[in-house]
This record gives sequence, C-alpha cells and structure tokens, in this order.
Amino acid sequence: MGLLLFDVVLCALLLTLAGAAMLSRQLVHAVTLFIAFGVMMALAWARLQAPDLALAEAAIGAGLTGALCFTALARYAGDAGYPKPKLWLPLVFVAAVSALLLYSVFQIPAQPTTELSERVAEHLAVSGVSHPVTAVLLNFRAWDTLLELLVLLLALLGARQVPSQLPLHAGWSLSVSWSRLLSPMLLLLSAYLLWRGAAAPGGAFQAGALLASGLVILRLNQQLAWLSWQNFAVRTLVLAGLIAFVMAGLASLLLPGQLVWLSWPVALAGGIILLVETFATLAIALTLALLVVGEPEQEPADA
Amino acid sequence: MTLVLLLLLFSMLLGLWRVIKGPTLLDRLLTIQLFGSSGVAILLVLSKLLALPALLDVALLIAILAAAAPAALVQRLGKSRADTRSLGKTP
Repeated sequence: MGLLLFDVVLCALLLTLAGAAMLSRQLVHAVTLFIAFGVMMALAWARLQAPDLALAEAAIGAGLTGALCFTALARYAGDAGYPKPKLWLPLVFVAAVSALLLYSVFQIPAQPTTELSERVAEHLAVSGVSHPVTAVLLNFRAWDTLLELLVLLLALLGARQVPSQLPLHAGWSLSVSWSRLLSPMLLLLSAYLLWRGAAAPGGAFQAGALLASGLVILRLNQQLAWLSWQNFAVRTLVLAGLIAFVMAGLASLLLPGQLVWLSWPVALAGGIILLVETFATLAIALTLALLVVGEPEQEPADA
Repeated sequence: MTLVLLLLLFSMLLGLWRVIKGPTLLDRLLTIQLFGSSGVAILLVLSKLLALPALLDVALLIAILAAAAPAALVQRLGKSRADTRSLGKTP
C-alpha cells in the first residue's frame, strides 16, 4: 500500500516536471526543470529494480545533460538573430514519437519471457565476467556495443561540423577550487564503476559519463587547457575505444579455435573485457566532454 | 520503512512548488540540490527495502554529481549577461 502510494507520487512528480519543462516560458527554467526530471528518472529506474539504468541515468541525466544544456544556452544567448522556433513542428514530432512508443508498448508481452535471461545465466560462466548485463554488452552482444561507440564518435564528428565557440570566462575562485577538490573523487568513483562492472552494475558507459562530467566541470572552470580536438593525444584517445575493440576482435580471431569475430576465448575473456572497457571509458569520457565544451575561442593564458 | 520513503518523497513534492514557481533562478537551483539529497536518501532506503546493494552506488553517484553540478552551472550562469538579472531578483 505504502509502496503503491510511493509509485503514484513518483509518477505524478515525473509527469509534472516533464510537462512544466516543456511549457516553461524561459529556457533557463526549462533546463533546471529538466535536470530535476533526470534525478527523478534515476529514482524511477531504481524503483523498477534496474540499477544499471539508474546508474546511467544518474550519470547522464543529473550530471552531463545539465552542463550540456546550460552550455548550449550560453551560446544561444549570444546569438540574438536566431529565429524563434514554431511550436507546431515540435508538437507534431512529439506526437509522432509518442504514438510510436505507445504502439511499441502494446508489443511487449504481458508476461515477460524468461527464456533469454535463462540462456544468459547458462553461459555466464564462459563470459569472463559475473554480471549478466556486462556479459551481454561486452561478450554475447559485443558487436552492438562496438557500433554504439561508433555512433558516439559519429555524433562528435557531426557536431564538429558546426562552428561552436565556447566563450570561456575567468573562473570564480570558489568554483575553481571546488572543482579541483571534486575532480579526484570523480576520477576515483569512475574507476570504481569501471572495475565494479565485471561483477555488479557499472561499466564503461557509466564510468565514462561520470568521468566526462568531471572533465566538463574542470574545463568550464578554465582548467585542462589540453582538452581540445586540436590536441593529437586527445584525438587518439577518442578513437582508442574503437581501435582497442577492433584490435581485440581481430587478435582473438588469430587464436586457434576462434571462428567468430568478437568472440573472446574463455580463458582470456575477463582480461580482454577489462582492457576494452578501459579504453572505451576513456574514449566515451573524452567524446562526451568534447561534445559539451566544444572548442575554446583561444587558449587561456593561465591554465 | 515505506513511511520514511513516503516522507522523503513528500519533501520533494514540497520542493516541486519552488522548482516550478521560482521565483528566482537561485530558488530553482537550490531545489535541485534538495532533490539530489532527498534522492540519495530515497535510494539508500530503497536499497534496503528492495535488497539491491547496487543502489548504494547510484546514491554515491547522485551525491557527488549534486555536489559537482553547481560548479558547472553557476560558472556558466553568473557570467552570461542574459541571466545575471534573473539570478538575483524576480523576472
């Protein structure tokens, strides 16, 4: 009874925040409402007993999206000549997406089938990790994860086609020292999430998103002058996730008894997954951070 | 335990008024902080209630991001001329 009330209130909060964010007159207010919505969404995933999704939503919804929207807003405010968007076009789009989503909801069987999770549990021992979600993402369906990394890279390359100059302001001393104080903890926590991924909810995407928010916070406070697409090391690391993944796939093909691309030998699977995930974390973190902060107008003298 | 959960959620409901109504941007940002800390508390209770220790990691994540968010947001807002007005007084 109490839990039912909790669920109802949580759903009401989510819907209210979403509606208020859409109907808000000022973009700044819409963004703050959207961040609050992200926190609530993480709670909803936690309540649905999906800690993997709750972690991802917390890292992206409560951390990165806020910084991304506020940075976009700072650029938007400078561009007064931007035409005011019409309302009906987004409305048609939202209606179409909602209709598609509603349609897909009816495709979900009322009784969830346990066949897939049983098959995963059956083969968990040969996957190299003990957490079923990581086993699926990095071993059984590694191809999908590889393509997801490619999608992220394409997003960055696409965003780079648009000139995006981020005006950097001299940081307030309080916020600069606060960001410096926090960054070791963010680094430690993302390494922890990466390592945890083998046995419990966590892994490359969550760790990468968290690391990215650390990078973004430092960058917005005028630290990390090297974080730019111009830097060769940064470009290499952005590509490193894909390269490590493909190299691991090719190397595993050379081993005797391996016939399928991206299937790890049982004895080495744990090590390969950790290696691929480490590079993927770095690549995801740098890609997301570059997406948010873009290129600085000029290199700040005091880094 | 569900009573604690409900109390925490209702404290968020009270915050909802401030995050929607404002009136200043500072009210909204502080409400997000309230949502962050209540969210951490709710996650801690949920992890006991649902016997999911992994939710503790989610709580840890939200706690550190809630602390980190102002460092990014205030930095952006305080300096951009369009928003300096709405930081201090009613729009």
